[in-house]
Amino acid sequence: MEFSIYRFNPETDSAPYMQDFTLADDLIEPGMMLLDALLLLKEQDDSLSFRRSCQHGVCGSDGMNINGTNGLACITPLKDLKAPIVLRPFPGMPVIRDLIVDMDNFYHQYREAEPWLINESPEPEVERHQSPEDRDRLDGLYECILCGCCSASCPSYWWNPERFLGPAALLQAARFIQDSRDQATEHRLQRLDDAYSLYRCHGIMNCTQVCPKGLNPSKAIGDIRRTMIKRSV
Amino acid sequence: MSVLSGQRAWLLQRITAIYAGLYVFLAVALLLARPPADHAAWLGLIAHPVVWLATATFIVLMLLHAWVGLRDVILDYVRSFVVRLTALATVAIVFLMLGLWALWILIEAALR
Repeated sequence: MEFSIYRFNPETDSAPYMQDFTLADDLIEPGMMLLDALLLLKEQDDSLSFRRSCQHGVCGSDGMNINGTNGLACITPLKDLKAPIVLRPFPGMPVIRDLIVDMDNFYHQYREAEPWLINESPEPEVERHQSPEDRDRLDGLYECILCGCCSASCPSYWWNPERFLGPAALLQAARFIQDSRDQATEHRLQRLDDAYSLYRCHGIMNCTQVCPKGLNPSKAIGDIRRTMIKRSV
Repeated sequence: MSVLSGQRAWLLQRITAIYAGLYVFLAVALLLARPPADHAAWLGLIAHPVVWLATATFIVLMLLHAWVGLRDVILDYVRSFVVRLTALATVAIVFLMLGLWALWILIEAALR
């Protein structure tokens, strides 16, 4: 199986280039994931660099651009990919080396969404209670693993990464706006009500298409807008 | 919430779109049902207070709608603050002039 992989080592390369790799057919096993293949290719060339950790689609480390679509290598079946498999780092993010990108800005925008519970009332002896219905409203929001596939596929985030929070951070904003235990809804909505933070989203929906966890950041952004309108009338 | 807040601009664009859609639908229906026979009839139609007010409102709201749309494009693509401000001001001035020109035409039509 043929691979074409983006290579760039800032210490030795003046410009990035695509390198061809071949994985022998006898090394390919049924049920193999793309990450398994990458690990075998790394045995051929140990300078090939990429992030990975849990290998089960939970840690979100091995996000990359696979045949033009962002995804996690560890849960992408090799048999579903058309050869030659073209692997590139996330678009729109600075490349550190090969498939490894600098996600500082992504995490900065995540912090901007204040992804923690804000509740000033005295801490109860047991946990803060929620009705089953209120808890259900968090489904589809809390499962994000921060892999970055969504934000790195969003043209609005490519254009304004410093000012538009991006779908991942906005999904987290929605998660705490929806949380019945959170007391800072007004504060959260006010922080998002400027020309850039939330409203650079134009409903392109690449985020929803690529999310490896099947989440829907586009809907979450729409829900934030609806909550804003309800609160302002 | 500032004048250029995200929510205000977003809502403005949608509300103006609803009005523009209704106006175009009703205008086309009216022109198909009762097409003006000549220039004088056309002027009479425009001078009718309801048509005049609806058309003047349409022009103002269409320009506001277009302003939000072009503002979005400029905010998306123009990174330099100075160039962005210049582009926004240019669009605002051109739209203001277009609006005044269109309203002047409507006033002239009503005064004939």
